Amino acid sequence: MKHLLSIAAALAVLAACEREDREFRPSPVATEGEASITLSSISPGVVGLGTPRDIGKAYEENAYHLSEGKRLFNWFNCKGCHANGGGGSGPALMDDSWIYGGEFQNIAQTIREGRPNGMPSFRGKIPDEQIMQIAAYVRSMERQVHQDAAPSRDDDLMPRPSEHRLPTSPPVAGGTVPPSGQAPQ
Amino acid sequence: MSETVLRSPSKEALDTDVKDGELPARLAATWGTAAGLIGALSTVDHKIIGRRYIITGFFFLFLGGLAAVAIRLQLARPDNTLIGPDLYDQIFTMHGTTMMFLFGVPIGEAMAVYLVPLMVGTRNIAFPRLNAFSYYVYLFGGLMIWIAFALNIGPDNGWFSYVPLAGPEFSPGKRADFWAQMVTFTEVSALAVAVEIIITVLKLRAPGMTLDRIPLFVWAMFVNAFLIIFAMPAVMLGSTMLILDRLLDTHFFNQAEGGDPLLWQHLFWFFGHPEVYIIFLPGTAFVSAIVATFARRPVFGYSAVVLSLIATGFLSFGLWVHHMFTTGLPQLGATFFTASSMMIAIPSGIQIFCWIATLWDGKPVYRTPLLFVLGFFFIFVAGGLSGIMLASVPIDTQVHDTYFVVAHFHYVLIGGAVFPLIGAIYYWFPKFTGRMLREGLGRWHFWLALIGFNIAFFPMHISGLRGMPRRVYTYPAEMGWDALNLVSTLGATLFVASFLVFLYNVVVSSRGGEIAGDNPWDASTLEWATTSPPPPHNFDHVPFVTSRELLWAERQTLPVVAGLAVDKREVLVTTTTQALPDLKESSPDPTIWPLISAIVVTAIFIGSIFTPWAVAWGAPVASFVIIAWFWPKSTEENV
Repeated sequence: MKHLLSIAAALAVLAACEREDREFRPSPVATEGEASITLSSISPGVVGLGTPRDIGKAYEENAYHLSEGKRLFNWFNCKGCHANGGGGSGPALMDDSWIYGGEFQNIAQTIREGRPNGMPSFRGKIPDEQIMQIAAYVRSMERQVHQDAAPSRDDDLMPRPSEHRLPTSPPVAGGTVPPSGQAPQ
Repeated sequence: MSETVLRSPSKEALDTDVKDGELPARLAATWGTAAGLIGALSTVDHKIIGRRYIITGFFFLFLGGLAAVAIRLQLARPDNTLIGPDLYDQIFTMHGTTMMFLFGVPIGEAMAVYLVPLMVGTRNIAFPRLNAFSYYVYLFGGLMIWIAFALNIGPDNGWFSYVPLAGPEFSPGKRADFWAQMVTFTEVSALAVAVEIIITVLKLRAPGMTLDRIPLFVWAMFVNAFLIIFAMPAVMLGSTMLILDRLLDTHFFNQAEGGDPLLWQHLFWFFGHPEVYIIFLPGTAFVSAIVATFARRPVFGYSAVVLSLIATGFLSFGLWVHHMFTTGLPQLGATFFTASSMMIAIPSGIQIFCWIATLWDGKPVYRTPLLFVLGFFFIFVAGGLSGIMLASVPIDTQVHDTYFVVAHFHYVLIGGAVFPLIGAIYYWFPKFTGRMLREGLGRWHFWLALIGFNIAFFPMHISGLRGMPRRVYTYPAEMGWDALNLVSTLGATLFVASFLVFLYNVVVSSRGGEIAGDNPWDASTLEWATTSPPPPHNFDHVPFVTSRELLWAERQTLPVVAGLAVDKREVLVTTTTQALPDLKESSPDPTIWPLISAIVVTAIFIGSIFTPWAVAWGAPVASFVIIAWFWPKSTEENV
């Protein structure tokens, strides 16, 4: 019985190993040179290191990266336009509508390269590692990441339930284009 | 031989009806543990459970010790890259957590579970099934946290898990949740044992053991149990609030929504300071027993020692804020807690002087247990003196969170708890196993431990005064701390080596040690009145206590009480102060349900880390197994 129990416990948490990895000092090499994530099906270019989907998984399934992304989301003032995900002068991030695609690599690319109508390019301003952390966090706003990895509440006023308590929403590829995307300002 | 016979109208066989030769075998059959795995897991014998508790406690001591070795290796030289910051945080947290929650508290209770029923002259502990349950909960909780650590989900916020660092924002993942649930496991098992000890001492003492004849060991364990009952709920509350904050978005510690991070520190240290005494009081229990036996006279100032134990218990709840002097207290508050922190030195001092007076007036026999007690005097007093320094706000503010504090509490805890404990193992090992530990190896162990300990921890006073902070995973070479740290690491190696000698001694002696006999040290308390190891029923006849030092007063024959049932488990309940025979009550039979309940509780606790539904679905299952556990049987009670 004790054996069974420990095996069950081991299986339950084995998935968590990746989830708990923390790299406090990522190798600086990774943040230089060609971005590994720029390239996706919707933009031309050369395929970088690894497939983007795998890189996304490594970030989305890791609690540390997600919480770092949440911190950086505030620190780089993403809030300024996107508020707490509900949208302001920029589109909402917590719904299932994505103008430029809602996959991890789409979001990373949006942050890195910028988009028309106001989204600036952060290439060279935010290290690649951190761009991917923010992208993973943006995915968690819609609860596209596993609950056990999604960030919990901040020690701050609570504008909405924290990411790990949101219901999972199945990803909708494409989604509908919100008004801000249909009518360029 | 004075003999009191308790007559009862029932038709059951009493020990007065059985021939003397048959009695031990028939009692052993009634009280024994069934063969086979199920039997072993169902047992409610306090000696078997106590032995498991002690072995498990030492297992966690060795794990915590290995964590300490890793810490010392990392700190041995500046700018070391042996262990990275992330793993280092987990390791030092596991070291503190294991030593405080999985070794410090349970080992004192473990010794009490084994020895208190023997010392008060009864046949089993009160609530023996609860005892089995508490052991399994403790074991599962300890395994859980170490398995989590092995899977890189070890807690990494220190053994005190301060918010906001351990809170939802700054501690992502499940690490702090596992820590909080480990506290819950420890809490449940510690409270269960505390209740058993209190009831055993109050109601199951042998007739004649009035309050002033209770051995000092039992007094210390009794006061300790009360400390556990009053201190532990605070940390349980705290850890529950923490896990609710983390998992369910509550705001107990969120200042922006009206919570207070300092609330955590108050709740934690309201437990955490008495915790230090929960670890130390069993140490005083061991010292009182060992000093009396090896000084060959009763402990000097019995009433003074008992009263100072009780005073320590009360005062320990009035000084928790001295852990928080740098959080910005009002002056008056700081002054009050400085005064109360210094005041607790008085009862501790009284006890130390009583023991020294005992040795002074006696004819000390310097065997290994007494050597460890002498080591305790030396180390604990040094730690107490640095404690007086830390109780004063100006000094505390300067050395807060430095290695000076680390040095202080290792002197107090290792001096006050581990040295007496090792002495106690040398002292009671013959009772546990029937064989003596080797004296020569014991002396090696003692000297290695004493020298190694001081080389390891004394330099930390200096590195602390030179500004080395706690909990750092490395330090630059130019700080001038490298030589001190290297010396500490070498001393730690010596200290660890002493425990390897101990381990070797235990393994070798439990197989081939010298046969001990009933009372190898010629001690005076009741556990030495029975065989080594004791039979399942502890005593063929319940002893009748005529003196505080019973085995010294009644050297020819021990007065006993007769009239208890032979073919069913029956214990004698006595009155609280006078210990007059009051009732004969049946003691529960072995059952597997405590184990099943512990498994269910474990599943609920671990499951609740991942989903709140674990509590909702687990509660009915837990109710079901507890109903099965308490299912009444139609046994007739004799009054």
